[in-house]
Amino acid sequence: MSSPRRRLLWLLYALPVGIFFATLLMGRYGGGVGDALRALFSTDTSDVLHSLILRVRLPRALAALLVGANLAASGAVLQGLFRNPLVDARILGVSSGAAFGASLAILLSGSALAVQTGAFAFALLAMACVLAIGWRMGAAPLVLLLVGIAVSALFDSLLGLVKVVADPLSKLPSITYWLLGGLSGASWSTLAPLAALSVLGLGFLVLVRWRLNLLTLGDDEAASLGVRVRPLRAAMVVAASVLIAASVSQAGMIGWIGLVVPHVARAWVGPDHARLLPASAALGAAILLALDTVARTALPSEIPLGILTGLLGVPAFLFLLVGYLRARGAAR
Amino acid sequence: MKKGLRVVVVIALVAGLAAAACASDAVTIVDSAGRAVVVPQPVERIASAYGIGTYYVYALGAGNRLVAAWYVGVKSLGQAPASLRAMEPRLDELFSVGDPNVEELAARGADLVVADAAKHAAFAAQMQGIGVPTLLLAPETTQGVVDTTLALGAALGEEAAGRAAQFVSDFWRVFAASEAATRDVPSGERPRVLFVGSSSLQVASGAMYQTQLIEAAGGVSVSEDLVGGWNTVNLEQILVWNPDVVIIPPYGNVTVADLMTSADWQSVRAVQTRRVVRMPRVFAPMDTPLPESLLGVMWLSSVLYPERETFDVRAEAAAFYGTYYGYALSQAEADSFLVP
Repeated sequence: MSSPRRRLLWLLYALPVGIFFATLLMGRYGGGVGDALRALFSTDTSDVLHSLILRVRLPRALAALLVGANLAASGAVLQGLFRNPLVDARILGVSSGAAFGASLAILLSGSALAVQTGAFAFALLAMACVLAIGWRMGAAPLVLLLVGIAVSALFDSLLGLVKVVADPLSKLPSITYWLLGGLSGASWSTLAPLAALSVLGLGFLVLVRWRLNLLTLGDDEAASLGVRVRPLRAAMVVAASVLIAASVSQAGMIGWIGLVVPHVARAWVGPDHARLLPASAALGAAILLALDTVARTALPSEIPLGILTGLLGVPAFLFLLVGYLRARGAAR
Repeated sequence: MKKGLRVVVVIALVAGLAAAACASDAVTIVDSAGRAVVVPQPVERIASAYGIGTYYVYALGAGNRLVAAWYVGVKSLGQAPASLRAMEPRLDELFSVGDPNVEELAARGADLVVADAAKHAAFAAQMQGIGVPTLLLAPETTQGVVDTTLALGAALGEEAAGRAAQFVSDFWRVFAASEAATRDVPSGERPRVLFVGSSSLQVASGAMYQTQLIEAAGGVSVSEDLVGGWNTVNLEQILVWNPDVVIIPPYGNVTVADLMTSADWQSVRAVQTRRVVRMPRVFAPMDTPLPESLLGVMWLSSVLYPERETFDVRAEAAAFYGTYYGYALSQAEADSFLVP
């Protein structure tokens, strides 16, 4: 069972840590890595670069790690849970709910706290709608998917309504930019709720990751092995949704991480969720942190993170697809 | 052959005379979209579906001819500034919002429609289709403000055309005076200005009207190299720019106190020297390409060069609103133009 890739597992977990320390030394301000290293260990509290690294770069890097880990891990869980490789955060209505909630908060208030709270609240509301309706219909994976699509469409319409009534001078640019995704608003105060929810959600999923393997066998098989299928599936959906909601409310709409990263991780460590879940989290954290570093350093203005994840995610997805089709062709 | 030519000449003459007879009560206006629009005179019922254009209609003395109007930045009657309500007693009747409806404007009997070149091309074609002349406007630059004023003035009749000419001369007078007052300042010593948007990390691009106003007032926009509309930047970039002055527009959520007390902004020169100011507002935001932007230049000039006293902004504002809007500024409104 020890393929050469498995032996490189340490690299997978070292990757986010290495990028984390590198990114703290990179930014628009200051004279480069040397300056940043000196500033980081400076005891001079009036040093602008020193406080910049601690107040701006550090919380933002941590937020990128958490958002990447959350999106990728919840993507892996949802793909297993629904036995469908095309599932990601969008499928449960959570993203659409968050988008509507954030836009509504921008329209009515605009404060960072209101936006984060609005996004989170409506993300969970969307999830609650999906679960409540889906539960009555038996909570089969396909039912939940279809209800999720319907609830997404509903919140997409409401989002459209908010955009129509938003002031094009002041509100609409904020909504548009938020929808493109980005971490420029990350700070210690926005990081706290994200960190707390991430620890809870990821902790729960890591604890139950063995049982996820049973659920992927199918409902009847899982039940015959003593799993209470419906409550377990609901609990996992809630945990994944909380992770997505916490991430989206911090970072806006960031696609492709939840869809593609679990596939890359699966190619690396295999389909066993005991390994796949932490591997997806580590890889998602590393990739999103690397992309966010590009987003905040490449140009004077921020590059929306959702654009970068799309630019990287789409070719990666197609590459994986070609590989999969070749492998299947060879097997025939 | 010769006879045929003579017939053609006669026909052309008759046609020309007929056209001239018709044209005596119609003017042809070339709008911002480059369309030649024939506007029968006199124009008596104006619908302004363009929130920026509405303020030109008022400035040209044609506010009493409005039958429907959109107001930039005002998405509901509740948001309308008290000053606007005082200037326009018919606000409840005129106020419109959202996408303009062809049938509604036709029902109100509009004989001229003012629309937004950026998004109303199809709507304008429909209005023209039912015989209502529609001007597409896009004043995005100082020259655009002048062109728009003159075009609308020509469409709205002789008196409006006179007011348009007066406004244009006022407008260029202010630009010339502001430029003359700061001509001696080398480009390296001009105040470096950051114009933020509805959040403190949104900044104006070089293509935006705000940048033109800053330059006209003798400043340099730190974000002039950015393209597009509002750009989102991060705090590091603002520290790299380290602006001398930060201007906050009269819309959005940013307040002077927010920036002055924010721990993140303490290293920014403008915060350290307490040169963070919010634009005053009477009707529309002065950083928008409409008549009030003339005051925007004067106000910015007094913010950037307080010691030069190029303009008596308070008196200029009172005169401007009296002349163009028939509106007497209150004491508090006049004082809002004074730089703290």
